[in-house]
Amino acid sequence: MMSRRRFLACSLFLPALAWLAAWRPARGHGAGPALVAMRGTARGERVWFEPAGLWIPQGATVRFVNEDAVNVHTATAFHPDLHGRERRIPAGAPPWTSELLLPGEHYDVVLDQPGVYDYYCLPHAAHGMVGRIVVGTPEDAQWTHESYYQSTRTNGMPGTFPELNGVLATRSRHASG
Amino acid sequence: MLSHSRFAALAACSVFAACTYAGDATSPHLTAAPAAPYAKVSSLVKLPDFIPGLGTLYVDPSTLPAGPFLGYDRDGRLSATIYMVPIKALQNGESWDALKTGDARVDSVDIYYNAGHPGVEEPHVHVVLFHDAAARARLAGK
Repeated sequence: MMSRRRFLACSLFLPALAWLAAWRPARGHGAGPALVAMRGTARGERVWFEPAGLWIPQGATVRFVNEDAVNVHTATAFHPDLHGRERRIPAGAPPWTSELLLPGEHYDVVLDQPGVYDYYCLPHAAHGMVGRIVVGTPEDAQWTHESYYQSTRTNGMPGTFPELNGVLATRSRHASG
Repeated sequence: MLSHSRFAALAACSVFAACTYAGDATSPHLTAAPAAPYAKVSSLVKLPDFIPGLGTLYVDPSTLPAGPFLGYDRDGRLSATIYMVPIKALQNGESWDALKTGDARVDSVDIYYNAGHPGVEEPHVHVVLFHDAAARARLAGK
């Protein structure tokens, strides 16, 4: 029969073990690339980027991971060179896009220029699957404010970008992560 | 003499059977991949080989976007026939009539919205005909 001491030890140890198994490192720049998951419901009724808004420091890497078991996705910057969309990345920043990513595949992009990067999923443009990455802060010397930074909608596509200030407010979490 | 309801049921069955892809329960496509012009969907567009909920899909490309798509389980058994119907086209008055089925035997039907995927990018409806009682469970696995 289990002693009281052993029972107590087990009752403390097992939950701690379960917590450790479930623990994932903070999704900040200190723990490798910042992650954006491509997600969807089991039947594909809804698709989205998570988090929809992400702050990273200048020069950090963002990794897009397809965690949707039933669909493929892209991460595609808004830029005239990519399917004729309006430019919603800082002037002079190179446009970027992933290939179609199968479940489990990922795509990395390094963002060097401070500012706001809006992106979407090519096969789910009609569904409004969009996201926003803010690189650096308005205090950075290279930060050049552009009008689209304050807009949360784009022409000809459903979907809403997170507010710039809301994304900037998450940076303290990353700084301590 | 046939009762009215039995006659109606038989008539419905015969119409349904007339629309099937290959007629009878011994057709080879029930236990193996269908012959051309059907092609594996994952060879036509970038999609997983096996899609949980739908299985391994085959389609005659000339019937896109509606299909029928034939859904096979991991053992190569035809388990479902799927139609993918764009909502905007329906709203604009388009219709799809007398579509074929992979098998005349249908146990149950699921209908749900889909946001889009390569092959049928625009928001559409999936109509899934499961051909036996265990088909849904066989197609659900990853």
